[in-house]
Amino acid sequence: MLRAVLCLFAVSALFFSSCSKEAVELDVDVMVWHWMTDRQDAFEKLAKDYFTKTGVKVIFETYAPSDVYKNKISAAATANLLPEIFNPMANKKEIASYINAGFVADITDDMNKDNWKDVFFQRALENLSFEENNEWGVKSGIYGVPIDVSSMLIYYNKDLFRQAGLDPEITPKTWGEFVAFAKKLKANDIQPFVSGFGENWIIGAFAQSYQWELFGKEGILSTIDGVIPYTDARWVKIFNLFKELKDNNLLATGVVTMINKDAERGFATGKFAMAFNGSWGVNVYNSMNPNLNYGVFYLPILPEAQHPMRFFGGEGSAFYVNSKSPNKQKAIDFLKWFTSEEQQSFLSKATSNIPANKNASSDLPPILKIFAESIANTFGQLQKIEDWQVVNVLNTSLQSVIIGEKTPQKAAKDVQDEKARQMKNKKATA
Amino acid sequence: MKITNKEKMTNFCFIIPALILFLVFSLYPIVRTFELSVFQWNGVDKNMVFVGFAQYKDILFNNPSFWKSMLNAGYITLLALTIQNGLALLLALLVNQNVKGENIYRTIFFLPPVLSGVVVGLIWKFVFDGNFGILDHFLYGLGFKEFHDYAWLSEIKTAISSVAVVHMWKGFGYGFIILLAGLQTIPVELYEAARVDGANSWQQFKNVTLPLLMPIFTIVSILTILGTMQIFDLIYSMTRGGPAGHTHVPITKIYEYMNNGEFGYSTAMAVVFGVVLLVISYAQIYFSKKFK
Repeated sequence: MLRAVLCLFAVSALFFSSCSKEAVELDVDVMVWHWMTDRQDAFEKLAKDYFTKTGVKVIFETYAPSDVYKNKISAAATANLLPEIFNPMANKKEIASYINAGFVADITDDMNKDNWKDVFFQRALENLSFEENNEWGVKSGIYGVPIDVSSMLIYYNKDLFRQAGLDPEITPKTWGEFVAFAKKLKANDIQPFVSGFGENWIIGAFAQSYQWELFGKEGILSTIDGVIPYTDARWVKIFNLFKELKDNNLLATGVVTMINKDAERGFATGKFAMAFNGSWGVNVYNSMNPNLNYGVFYLPILPEAQHPMRFFGGEGSAFYVNSKSPNKQKAIDFLKWFTSEEQQSFLSKATSNIPANKNASSDLPPILKIFAESIANTFGQLQKIEDWQVVNVLNTSLQSVIIGEKTPQKAAKDVQDEKARQMKNKKATA
Repeated sequence: MKITNKEKMTNFCFIIPALILFLVFSLYPIVRTFELSVFQWNGVDKNMVFVGFAQYKDILFNNPSFWKSMLNAGYITLLALTIQNGLALLLALLVNQNVKGENIYRTIFFLPPVLSGVVVGLIWKFVFDGNFGILDHFLYGLGFKEFHDYAWLSEIKTAISSVAVVHMWKGFGYGFIILLAGLQTIPVELYEAARVDGANSWQQFKNVTLPLLMPIFTIVSILTILGTMQIFDLIYSMTRGGPAGHTHVPITKIYEYMNNGEFGYSTAMAVVFGVVLLVISYAQIYFSKKFK
């Protein structure tokens, strides 16, 4: 009997000791969890340099793909096991929850010290800040540190343009010109346009640019408030843009289930002439096909639009500091060093991304320079965001228009119906 | 022989480790899932808002996309129950005829089930691709010009069926192995007696094989239903629920809600889905007993 009890005690002790927090703690000052597998080598090199310089040990751990990483962060938050530096990979509403739950540090004072905040592209920092009286009740301030910036524009293959009899140095400026270019490519048996429209956020990013152009910031906020319905003629117009591409057969085969990696592969191998993609594409295309002869242009504007065109982007990747960590200050100091000009230049060269530190972006390659210039015209900060279910129905309705399942009017109505459903739910919960 | 209290205690001590594991890893998650389902919670907030059965009500009466995903899973399950299990039975019957190299067939047929679902999904996605796909290339070569650049996974007509084909290809090996094992337990004497009575092959199958295989078939059917209704990795790697949500299944919907910070709502979906699976399994057992 005694032996059985002792055995049981030993097994239980082993089980519970393996679950304790102390057991997983390593000899590390600052632990960074990230999802950027392609940058791990560069991060490790910088961590080594920082250790040599300061004696502070920083470890970068990768968890990919990004949705796995996101789930890990949320589970770690629930168990109070977040590392010193992380990113919830979430929208502003969810970030607000992390802040309100005390998981993310307010770094406004550190940002103001030595004018740290002035080294960043303003738009990148805006997206990581909360304004006064935001709808989530977060104290105004800066909560994240951008490590690079990005925007989404349209890449084009110069050789395929030439093959279709188009001058590769002249790019479409308006929607009409864009469609005309695409038709000419199609007439020459070249698939004109590709993007990872199978990923909701990408098809949404393309549509949102036109939302900003047709509605402006106030119009978007009014839509979120339910004042402007999704059945508004301007929304129908946006759906119609996709219908026009579909009707003229200008989209890549299978675009509605295509993930961006496949779209990137198709563009890099010369299968498609134009691709809506982010600035990270430069690195991807260069590694997939170093001989690819390509350029980039801004999204074509709608001449009738009342507002300036804006692009999806801003901060590309960012880090947040765990406010509960005893090494919080060490983490902030590391990020300050990490985002200084020298380190950012190194990162930019090693990973072909646009540095968040604007002083480090002076010697960028020409194509990345175009992206860097567009950062100022990325979507502005909004004090509120649309319900994800509405965004979801919007994005899938865009896909439905492309596959011919819905008319633009029906798509707009479906989004409005979902909006009404969510507003009713909100009212009921309140 | 009477068991003393001391012996009872000793015996109990031996089952405690298993009991602890069951309580921690099985019972607690079930109870916790149900508990979370009556709260509105995003997984991070300190405060969970109690909403009672409001989320259940919304799922049952106000969330057509969830029920559409259930129908999709039902459609794949129906195909799996008929075509996949039919194929598994046919192959098991053929391999059971003392064919040469039985073990080789057994290994080959059991290969797809042991492969990772994500890897299988990605390979088949390439097969179905409208731009680089092998299938289109093959069909075009056979003279089907309309399949020159047909995107099987992006067309409403073919998306869900294409996923179902891959699921059946991946899953028939399980049924094959179990049914083959079942066939090998049927005494040869029964077939000999049937032959003496003048039964032909079909009559032997109908009157000997089928009735004796029925309990095994029930198990295979239940495993097929549960496995197929819970399909996730193939859908996620092949279509992510697209085009326009036409290949969503309940688990991808639950994942979608959870990924968007709707922990409470997604656990309520999981409970509803669990109840549906229970009802289906119970009905399956009930009808197979009745049939027997």
